Amino acid sequence: MTTITYPLSRIEGHARVVIDIHDDEVFRADFQAMEMRGFSYYVQGVPAEQITVIVPRICGVCSTAHQVASVKALEDTFGVTPPPLAEEIREVLLLGQLIQNQATSLFIFTMPDRVNASSLFEISDKPGDKERQFSLAQMALRIRKIGTDLISLAGGQFIHPIKTVIGGVTSGIPRQKADVMIKTIDELLPVANEMVDIYWQMSMEMGDRIGSWGDDEPTYYLASTEANNFRLNSKSLRLMSPEGKECQNFDPHEFESYLQIEDSDYSYAGISSFQGQIMRANSLARINLTTSFGTPMADNYLKRFVETFGRPAHAIMFFDLCRGIELVYALEKARLLLEDDLEHGETEVAYTLRDGVGYGLVEAPRGPLIHHYEVENGLIKNADFIIPTVHNMLAIRRALMVVAKRYVSADGISSELGRAVGRVVRAFDPCIACATK
Amino acid sequence: MESKKELPKFAVLQLSGCSGCEVSLLNSDEWINNFNLVYMPLVVTSNKIPEDVEVLLVSGGVRTDEDIHNLRKGASRSKKVIAVGTCALSGGVAQIRETHQARDTYLLSSHRLRLPDMLPRAFPIDRFVNVDLYLPGCPPTPELFMTALTEGKNAKIASIVCQECGRQKLQDMRPTSITGMRSGVVLPDICLVNQGYVCVGTSTRGGCGALCTRPGHACVGCRGPANPYLNKEPKFVLDNLRRVFSRMTDIPEEEINEALESPWLSLFLDQFTDYTQDESLPMRTKEKMI
Repeated sequence: MTTITYPLSRIEGHARVVIDIHDDEVFRADFQAMEMRGFSYYVQGVPAEQITVIVPRICGVCSTAHQVASVKALEDTFGVTPPPLAEEIREVLLLGQLIQNQATSLFIFTMPDRVNASSLFEISDKPGDKERQFSLAQMALRIRKIGTDLISLAGGQFIHPIKTVIGGVTSGIPRQKADVMIKTIDELLPVANEMVDIYWQMSMEMGDRIGSWGDDEPTYYLASTEANNFRLNSKSLRLMSPEGKECQNFDPHEFESYLQIEDSDYSYAGISSFQGQIMRANSLARINLTTSFGTPMADNYLKRFVETFGRPAHAIMFFDLCRGIELVYALEKARLLLEDDLEHGETEVAYTLRDGVGYGLVEAPRGPLIHHYEVENGLIKNADFIIPTVHNMLAIRRALMVVAKRYVSADGISSELGRAVGRVVRAFDPCIACATK
Repeated sequence: MESKKELPKFAVLQLSGCSGCEVSLLNSDEWINNFNLVYMPLVVTSNKIPEDVEVLLVSGGVRTDEDIHNLRKGASRSKKVIAVGTCALSGGVAQIRETHQARDTYLLSSHRLRLPDMLPRAFPIDRFVNVDLYLPGCPPTPELFMTALTEGKNAKIASIVCQECGRQKLQDMRPTSITGMRSGVVLPDICLVNQGYVCVGTSTRGGCGALCTRPGHACVGCRGPANPYLNKEPKFVLDNLRRVFSRMTDIPEEEINEALESPWLSLFLDQFTDYTQDESLPMRTKEKMI
């Protein structure tokens, strides 16, 4: 038996892919998370109100989603409803995170794969390429920075944000700062469009070169955005069948009836399924479940995507294209929200501590995230984190089997396999810190 | 960009952590022109740290046997090692509630075939390698990263968070309980201690720009104790905080004590605790602190 190990870079956290081959036949392809964070153990016994500062540290890439989910879970426990202004500011915050994340995944993590480079910062030796690459890197970082700035504006800190608190947000967004942000978005939205078009073109060329967009069987799709309202500060989850029918709609507190979550013996990350069936979350799931964004540019891209690839679309590399559509949407939507008065009015309400159980849901960049707490005597008795990357684990494993079979034959193991493994894993944009909470 | 290859080699080694430090570093792009980034798996495909690295940034704590291996190898190939973030300095958030029960349950569930073994606890990196500079913060801001990379030991850092906060301390506004965060309102411009928050900015190292307190969240002390409390038992920084609260508030002593013993504060205020109880460990002098 031959075992090949592929260490992975340009993803969040420590992971690798291990493929077992026997007599030219692939019989195992594992995606391994290589460390265990252990938050669900360490937060037991912590005063409930303090968990909102601790759990963002599960992940520096997804800290915004964890912070908002955590606050919402405690609001559910304490029976508090934040004022509408706070909900709107939280949406700006989550849009900032979507921009930062999708820009990172598109340009820093996956664009190099399209041109067989080792990183966005690698400068080609070919004259002519050099200038173009440098300008691409600059544009990419400027777009990404809008996300970071929005998180700072709406969240206080751009990593492990602090403005979202139980009962609302600590302060509003001053008009003047909102106007500066609007100006930047107006300036960079055309640049983002251009970058998404370049990325789309590069992806088509890559697809032609490889001869595949990632063949795989259809799966279920899970998202918590609505068909006509792409709100990330979401309320319920939706599931689409492999045939494209919306087959389930459930509240976060019902998650255990729909999602089966278990440990795996080959990875420190858990795996989840819909009643044993493979699911996918993240961008492709949301796009398959979205009828309209309600913003003109994103709706144009959506139309183009559906007309070209159909609905539901299943190929693995579509995840990346869908991130581009969402990036454009998030910029447009953030701009719209910033036009509102986010400075004046009630930003938070008082609350009293009480024991009980609570659930907090948000649509994180990687899919629906649920925090579930049990509070007893003011302390966290149990904490459960339902992580989007975990919903994709079975799908990643199967997709890896598909590529491994494609590149392993009686002639040997193709050198393309290593690159293919990287492309497949990055398409799912897994977050290892989160997945091993 | 022509001379990129002649610039000093710069590597970023991530051990067990959340990637927040790396994301923060990425938010400052000034280093792109000053350094040649040769290793940082988050953004560059590169499987090993090359020889002759000028500066090695290490984030995350030592949590697996593989972490020890990578750390030693990286440090041996680098001229200068900078420890960044709470996890590299103390093991980090994994140390929270380090009770036997939590640890046992955790270890029981953390063993897998063909995967690195988890160590019984998360260790700071200077247990294993010599560290030239420490950059505390969870995470340190992009500006602090640049300060560490460019000014190093000559950096001038605000001594405490209050210096950069801008909120005013009032004589006549004395809260009687710690209920700030439940009140549903944060008054702008007024010190959070006056408003009944457990804000520890008075004893916490500055340099962060008071990012949390200015928009209205209490400082949790992520930059660690200010210079006077370095290399001292946590009792000293806690005593100072007690003095602040008794001077500025009418909150009963027991309530203050209970609040100060809370996990979210111990996570950061105890960052240096190990270094007060074990003399074999290196001294973390203020000259080495950013």
